Amino acid sequence: MRIVVTYKWTCDPEEATVRADGTVDWSRAKPGISTYDPVAMELARRLADAAGAELIGLTAGGKGVGTPIAAKAALSRGLDRVVIIEDESLREAGRSELAAVLAAAVRRIGDVDLVVTGDSSVDVAAKMVPTVLAGELGWPAVAEVTAVTGQAGALRVERAIPGGVQVLEISGSAVLAASADAAVPHVPGMKELLAAGKKPVDRLELTALDVPARSAVMTVTGRARPERKARKSQLIDTSDPAAAAAELVTALRVAGAL
Amino acid sequence: MDFELSDEQQLIRDAVREFAEAEVAPIAAELDRDHRFPTELLPRLAEMNLMGMPYPEKVGGAGADYLSYVIAIEELSRACASTSVVVSAHSSLATWPVFKFGTEAQHERYLHDMASGRRLGAFALTEPAAGTDAAAGTTTATLHADGYALNGSKMFITNAPYAEVYIVFAKTDPERGARGMSAFIVEKDTPGFSVGEAEHKLGIRGSSTPPVYFSDCRVPKEALLGVEGDGFKIAMATLDGGRIGIAAQALGIAQAALDASVAYAKERVQFGKPIAALQAIQWMIADMATEIDASRLLVYRAASFLDNGRPYSTEGAMAKLFASETATRVAGKAIQIHGGYGYTESYPVERNYRDAKITEIYEGTSEVQRMVIARSALR
Amino acid sequence: MSMSAWIIVGDQPTVGNLITVARSLGGPVGAVVAGPRSVAETVAASGVDRVVWCRAPGDVPAEACAPAVADVVAADPPRVVLSGRNPSERVLLGAAAARLGAAVVTGARSVAIDGGDVIVVNAVFGDIADETVAVSGPVALLLDGGPVPPADRGGAPIEEVSATPLQLKVIETRMHDFDQVDLNSAHRVIGVGRGLKAKEDLAMMEELAQALEAEIACSRPVAEGLNWMGKDRYIGSSGAHIAPQLYLTVGISGQLQHMVGVTGAETIVAINSDPKAAVFQQTDYGLVGDLYQLVPAIIAALK
Repeated sequence: MRIVVTYKWTCDPEEATVRADGTVDWSRAKPGISTYDPVAMELARRLADAAGAELIGLTAGGKGVGTPIAAKAALSRGLDRVVIIEDESLREAGRSELAAVLAAAVRRIGDVDLVVTGDSSVDVAAKMVPTVLAGELGWPAVAEVTAVTGQAGALRVERAIPGGVQVLEISGSAVLAASADAAVPHVPGMKELLAAGKKPVDRLELTALDVPARSAVMTVTGRARPERKARKSQLIDTSDPAAAAAELVTALRVAGAL
Repeated sequence: MDFELSDEQQLIRDAVREFAEAEVAPIAAELDRDHRFPTELLPRLAEMNLMGMPYPEKVGGAGADYLSYVIAIEELSRACASTSVVVSAHSSLATWPVFKFGTEAQHERYLHDMASGRRLGAFALTEPAAGTDAAAGTTTATLHADGYALNGSKMFITNAPYAEVYIVFAKTDPERGARGMSAFIVEKDTPGFSVGEAEHKLGIRGSSTPPVYFSDCRVPKEALLGVEGDGFKIAMATLDGGRIGIAAQALGIAQAALDASVAYAKERVQFGKPIAALQAIQWMIADMATEIDASRLLVYRAASFLDNGRPYSTEGAMAKLFASETATRVAGKAIQIHGGYGYTESYPVERNYRDAKITEIYEGTSEVQRMVIARSALR
Repeated sequence: MSMSAWIIVGDQPTVGNLITVARSLGGPVGAVVAGPRSVAETVAASGVDRVVWCRAPGDVPAEACAPAVADVVAADPPRVVLSGRNPSERVLLGAAAARLGAAVVTGARSVAIDGGDVIVVNAVFGDIADETVAVSGPVALLLDGGPVPPADRGGAPIEEVSATPLQLKVIETRMHDFDQVDLNSAHRVIGVGRGLKAKEDLAMMEELAQALEAEIACSRPVAEGLNWMGKDRYIGSSGAHIAPQLYLTVGISGQLQHMVGVTGAETIVAINSDPKAAVFQQTDYGLVGDLYQLVPAIIAALK
C-alpha cells in the first residue's frame, strides 16, 4: 500500500506584522512544518505501520520549501521518503493551483492508494486544498477525519459530523483530511532526527509535471490593513468583584448589549 | 570559522525545546518546591533518546555528536535544572566510563541498558572528607577470593537511590594515594550497599543527592572497571567531559533567567512606561545577553573540540568556569529586574538563582577550573 | 437560462447567506443539492431560479455525490460557485472548483462583478490583512452558509438527476451527548477558554448563559483537546465566525486564531486573570481578575 501525506513548510502569521500599506512582513517569522501537518503524519504513520505501507511526504511551494532542513524536519516525523516540488512561481499560488500541482505529483508518484492531509495550514487556513486535490484526482474526499484503519481498497474512516461521529467505508483511493485532534503527534526523538538526513528526497520539476492550465487567473490588485471595529479598551477595576460586576452590567445596558 | 549549527543540531534544539516546554517546564516549580525526583520523566527521556545521546546506536545510544548533546542539556536546563542534571550525570558521569573503559562483557551487561535509558546510572566519587581532594577518599576495596569487599561512604551522589548502576571509586591500595584508587561498577541490589537520607539543598531540589554506604559490600572481580590503580585517572577523565555538560546546564539556567527578565521588563509599567524603556534596565539586559552569548560560544567550542578529537581539557574548564559564574550573576540581575516580585515564588527567577550556584561547585569547583586553565596558560 | 452563480448545498439547508451573496451579483442563481430531498425543497422555496437535486442510492454521504455535483455545475458554468463551510460542502465545492478550473477564495468580505472580472476583498493570513483580488474566470467561494432561508414567493421546480456515487458508504453514525447549537443566530454569546480549571465549572457558565440569555461557545482547545463541548461550538479561524451583540469571554487568552471569529461582534468583554493576555487588546470592557469570583458576581448583578 502506498500512502502520501501532504505537508506545508511555512510561517505562522502570529510572527508576521502588517505594514501600514497592508503588505505582510514575514522577515521575523521562522518557517517550520505547518501546525496541523504533524497530526496527519502521525495518523498516516500509524496506518502505514498497521498496513505495511510506504509513507511518502509531498510538498509544493516557493523557494525554501526544499531546503535540507525542511526535508529533514518532515522526514523526522515518520516518513519513509519525501517528494518536493520547489518552484518560486508557486510562492503566491492560489489554493486550486496548488491542489492541481499536488494532484499531478500524486499521479507521477503512481500507485497511490491514499492521500492524507492536515486539517488546514497555519498561514492560509483555507481548508480547501485537500478537497480540490480530490476533485482533480477524481477521488472521494472526507474531511474532519479522526481515525482510519484498514488496507488499500477497504478503508474504514471515522469522521466528525455536527453533533457526533460517522463511520464510513471507502473502497478505492481517497483523500482524507485529518481533523486537528485526530492524533497527538509525538515530538521526534533524537534517533528519528538523526536518521532523517539519510532518507531519500525526490525532487520533481514543476515544468516537467503535467499540470492542466487554469481557467481562472487571480490577480491581487490591492492590499490593506483590515478595518477593525475600534474597541473601547476600558479596564474595569476588579478589586471589589461585586462593584466590578455592577459597573460592567450598567455599561453593557447603556451600550445596548443586554 | 562557521558559527552556524548543522540542520540536525537545529532540529534537535527545536525538538528538545518542544519536549521540555510541554512536559518538563510544567512540573519544574513543583519538583523544586516538593524536593521531588522526576521519576515520571525517566521513561519519556528514554523514549526521546536523550539518556545516551553521544553513544553509538549499536550500543543503544542515539549516535549524536557531543555538541547536540550539549544543546539538549541546555534546552532541558532552560526548563528545569534538576531534570537536566539527572540526564547529564547519568550520561556523562555514569555511562561514559563504562563506554570508554568497560570490557565487552561489561558493555553487554550495562552499556546498552544505560545508553538506552533503561537503567539509570550514578557516579560515586565524593566523600565527606574528599571533595576537591578526591584522592583523599577512604572508601576501600579489599580483594578476596571471590571478588572485592567495599567499605566506606560516599556523599552527594546524584541520582541515588533511583539509579541502578553506580560507578564507585575505592582504594584497592590505600597506601598509594591517587594511584591506589580503582573504579567499580556496583549494582543497587548488592548486599552491603545502602542509601542514606535525602540531602536538602539550596537549589536543584528535584535532583536526588543522598549519601551511599558500603558495608562489606561484595562485588565480583568482573565489577572492576579498567585495571587496579586506574580509578583516579578514570574519574578525572570522566569529569573532564562532564564539566562541559555542567557548563551547558549553567547556560540553560542563565538563558531562562534572561528570557524571564525580557518578558517581565516589557510588561512591568512604572512611571507610565514599561521598564524595558529605561536605560538602567536596558544595560542590564545587554550585559546579561552578551555574557550568555560568550558562555554559549565557550561551551559550544569545547563540545566541538571534543567532537573533532582535539584536546578539550582547558576549553572545557574555561566553559564551565565562565558559564557557571555567568549563570549566578545573570540570575541575580534577573531578580533585580523583577524587583520585589522576583523575590517571591510567583516568578521563576528565584529558582534560577538558587539552581545556578551549584554549577560553580560540582564536577570541579571554579577554583579547580582556574587551576586547570592556569596550568595551561603558564606552560 | 445560464447561471451566473451556483450554490452547492449538502445535508443542511443553512444557505441563507449564500443566496444573499449570489443574488447580489445579479443574474440567475442555481442551487445543486446533494442531501435529502427535504433540503432541496427548502432551497427551492427560497427564491433561487433553479434547483437540481442529486439523488443517490442507499446510505451514502453527501461527499459521494461530488462528481455528480461537479457535472451539474460544469454543464452550465457560472462566474461564481459558492458553498458553506461544513466539511461535506467543502468537499463538494472542491470537486466543482477542480472541474471548472476555478480560483478558490475562502475569506471573502465582499464580492462583486466588475466587467469581466469578479472582484473580491479577501481576508488573508488569519485575518491580519485584506487583499483585493480580481479574477478572470470562475471563482469558488467558501462562505459562512448563514441561516435557513425563509420561503420566498414562487418556487423553483426541483430537477432530479441520478447520481452515480463514489465508493463511499456510511456504516455507522454515533451522536454525542452534546446539544447542537446555532451560534450564528445567537444575540449574545459566552466564550469559554482554558482558564476554566475543570469541566464541572461549565455549570457556572451555564448559569451565566441563562442570566444573559446567551449561547455558550469556546476556544478550539476546549472543544478539541479537552472535548468539553461539541466542535460546532468553537469559534476561530477554522471554526465559527459570529457577530453577536455581545461576546463575553471567560478565561480566553485571545490568540489571533480565536479572535478572528468574533471581529464583527458589537461589544466584546473579557475576563482573564493574566493582565498580559492578548484578549485585552481587543475588548471594549476588560476585567483582570479571578473568574471564579467575577462570574458569580456578574450572575448576581444580572438578577
